[in-house]
Amino acid sequence: MARVEYENVSKRFPTQDRAAIDDFTLDVADGELLVLLGPSGCGKTTALRMLAGLEHPDSGDIRIDGKSVVGLEPKDRDVALVFQSYALYPHMSAKDNIRYPLRVKHMNEAERERRVGQVAEMLSLTALLERRPARLSGGEQQRVALARAIVRQPRVFLMDEPLSNLDAKLRTHTRTELKALQRQLGTTTVFVTHDQAEAMTLADRIAVMDRGRLLQLGTPDDLYLRPVNLFVAQFIGSPPMNILAAEVRDGALLAEGTWRLPLPRGIAAKSVSVGIRPEGIELDESSPDAQVGEVLVSEPLGSETIVDVKVGGALVKVRAAPQVRPDPGTRVHLRVDPSAIRLFDTASGSAIA
Amino acid sequence: MVVARNSAYLIGLTPAALLLSLFFVGPALWAAYSSLTNLALVGIDAANPRFIGLDNYARLFSDPDFWQVIRNSVTFVVGSAVIGQFGLGLGLALLIDHAERRRWWFATVAYAAVLLAWVNPTLIAGFLWVAMYDFFFGSLNHVFLSALGLPPVDWLGSFPMPAVIVANVWRGTAFTMIIFLGALKTIPPDIYEAARIDGAGTWRRFWDHTIPSLRPIVALTLLSITMSTFGTFIVIQALTNGGPGIATEVIALYAFDSAFKSFSIGYGSAIAAVMLALNLVFAVVYLRWSRARA
Amino acid sequence: MTPRAETTVARTVAAPRGASWLETIAVHAVFALVVVFFLAPFVWLFTAAFDGRAQAYIRLPEQPTVDIFVRIFTEHDFARALGNSVLVAGATMLLDVVAVSLAGYSLSRLDLRFKSWITYAVLLLQTMPLSATMVPIYGLAQALGLRNSYLGLILIHAAIELPFLIWLMKGFFDGVPRYLEEAAWLDGRSKLRALIEIVLPVARNGIGVVAGLSFLAAWSEVLMMIILIDKQDLKTVPLAFYEVLRTRGGYTEVQYGLIAAMGVLYAVPVMAIFFATRRMMVRGLIATSRGL
Repeated sequence: MARVEYENVSKRFPTQDRAAIDDFTLDVADGELLVLLGPSGCGKTTALRMLAGLEHPDSGDIRIDGKSVVGLEPKDRDVALVFQSYALYPHMSAKDNIRYPLRVKHMNEAERERRVGQVAEMLSLTALLERRPARLSGGEQQRVALARAIVRQPRVFLMDEPLSNLDAKLRTHTRTELKALQRQLGTTTVFVTHDQAEAMTLADRIAVMDRGRLLQLGTPDDLYLRPVNLFVAQFIGSPPMNILAAEVRDGALLAEGTWRLPLPRGIAAKSVSVGIRPEGIELDESSPDAQVGEVLVSEPLGSETIVDVKVGGALVKVRAAPQVRPDPGTRVHLRVDPSAIRLFDTASGSAIA
Repeated sequence: MVVARNSAYLIGLTPAALLLSLFFVGPALWAAYSSLTNLALVGIDAANPRFIGLDNYARLFSDPDFWQVIRNSVTFVVGSAVIGQFGLGLGLALLIDHAERRRWWFATVAYAAVLLAWVNPTLIAGFLWVAMYDFFFGSLNHVFLSALGLPPVDWLGSFPMPAVIVANVWRGTAFTMIIFLGALKTIPPDIYEAARIDGAGTWRRFWDHTIPSLRPIVALTLLSITMSTFGTFIVIQALTNGGPGIATEVIALYAFDSAFKSFSIGYGSAIAAVMLALNLVFAVVYLRWSRARA
Repeated sequence: MTPRAETTVARTVAAPRGASWLETIAVHAVFALVVVFFLAPFVWLFTAAFDGRAQAYIRLPEQPTVDIFVRIFTEHDFARALGNSVLVAGATMLLDVVAVSLAGYSLSRLDLRFKSWITYAVLLLQTMPLSATMVPIYGLAQALGLRNSYLGLILIHAAIELPFLIWLMKGFFDGVPRYLEEAAWLDGRSKLRALIEIVLPVARNGIGVVAGLSFLAAWSEVLMMIILIDKQDLKTVPLAFYEVLRTRGGYTEVQYGLIAAMGVLYAVPVMAIFFATRRMMVRGLIATSRGL
């Protein structure tokens, strides 16, 4: 259990033009599951590896429980890392893999056996302990890697996209198990992923990163409902938020030239980007001031339908009830929930309202 | 800070670095140094070692024997490495590759025979050929020639250079053969299929496809065996010891004899220094070419 | 295209053109010559070793005997020579494995700008001919008191093979992913322990090649033996050979039987080891010519 702090951490790799991490500041609370989320190259893995001691910051400080760890070797930091490739030792059985971190600690053999057995039990590995990694499936290997991290009872868990190599079904299943496990153990965890759905499911808080910078730190709700800029708005949520170019005219928003939308109060800007999530738009045939659009295609998902609608020159995605499946070419009416409208400055991307 | 991070690795290099400095770098530098002295183990100079500048080199380059030695070395390298090992190795590789495509198992026997000659210790190679060439009772004279009804030939006396070249070719051909076989195997067979469909005969296919595929590796291999043949010593010493006279005295043997027969360490070092300098030139060219290829 | 035409085309492409009998005979004749040329000396070696009245030419022994083998052990102290050779080659192998593992790993993981310079320098050293450095090494060994000592022999033989073996091992280590040792570090190991417990076991094929090559090279090495040893009790097999030569009359009288017997014992281990590891060795050799 520990707090983690990054303070103004920067790093540039000699072979690259821009900084891998730029002035990164972040606090992780004790027992929290914090997700570092972003596209590849955004610096999330570098940040994680710096916490593990596998990379070194050019400037800034990294602290665990208030004490700086920057000068410490990985073996002295008391953190565990689950690698994307699992990094299981191929010449050892699963059991020896799990037992490996314990062999340098002061405890008698019986105690080690007990701990290994306990963790194996926790992750349903007991029957597989004698096997070598080559004879384990991807999901089983992943659990052994996890077991090896847990058995040490470290201060912090670090996870570098541990689920990326699993097939989709196993990934979603393991995701929820992981969250339950972390709750149960209560260990501070920093989790790296590029998958926004994964982040939303797992995280207590998410830190969205792009090109070495921290863009927004907040709970999943914060990020979903109040994104701080266009990047975050479009990165989080699936299907992504609809973004429309708009002008402020006569006290209203005119999106894509023809769509009139209510204008939130106190906006001075002239041209903005309007963001509306698919669930913020309704197919409503009854409303008089509804915008007209033409259906391009309907994507039935079983639990709901995503309808792609052409409005003027833009394409918006609309969430509809599962039985609503208009054919391509159908003319439909769209109504927007005013509270779902987000405004962004087109040039900088920052949120305005 | 960069050094600190790498400190463990730099330490890990020290045992090897120590050995290499002591037995490679050190000797090379020492050879350069002592070639400028009159160091000797016996004789007047031994009691009075002093720095004599480039005298050794002056004596070396004005000594007609030295130039004979250089000529011998060149002849030996051209005969053994270029024509023999390279030519025979390439020819065998092509033949074996061709035979393997036809699934003739005899090719494997030939391959193994060539390999056997190469794998064995050098000294064995030397003595095996001492036995072969022996005038009265060597296999060549006593078995093969007499079977053909021909009189015995004094191989080592009358044809020392060819004799030594043949022995060295016997020993070293496997190296080039393996390299070329490896290269030939990387040529995808589809190329030959396509060529054959296009109506190309065997010779044409060889010329237009096999040769170009081998070209990159030819220069490197040639340079490589030139360098190693240049330093050959044991086989020649065992067979002729440089003789008769200095007919087969190559530069490696010359350095050895100067240092350990005549006990002139300084002079021997000068010869060694010349060898190292020549070798350095070859080596730099070799490394440049192979990096360019990579 | 009609089905019949398709199969005709398929058949032409798939089957190789049959060889003419002329070609077959010619190629096999060449192979026969090659085999005779390369194997003849060995035929002599193995027949003469068991021939009580061995000559320099190939002949079948009238009465095959192992007498010569007995003689080389009783009269010529070959056991000592053999033992010394095994000792020196074995110790060289061990020293090389340690030095090369450390150096190869360090070179592989080094993160310095002049790393490529080091690799370049190592390769450059490898090309230095022993016959050039033998004179200064003699002087050095003399000065350091390494002549006529096991230590000297072992150190020098280990050093000789280093450049090539380091380069080879570095290549093997480059193929071991770093996350394995990183995981070991996080599991509480120092870099050295991680190397020994995790990386080396994964790279054990490379270690095997290095050990094999090192042993074979030290076993076959002659030049340094001549230069460094002149005391009886340290003699190794090559020196035993030269000793037999020395018992000459006026003309070079080589005792061929003895040479053959010693040769058999000297050469057979090499052939055995190489035969057992041939695939690995050939692959390694091809790799050296390609990837620099």
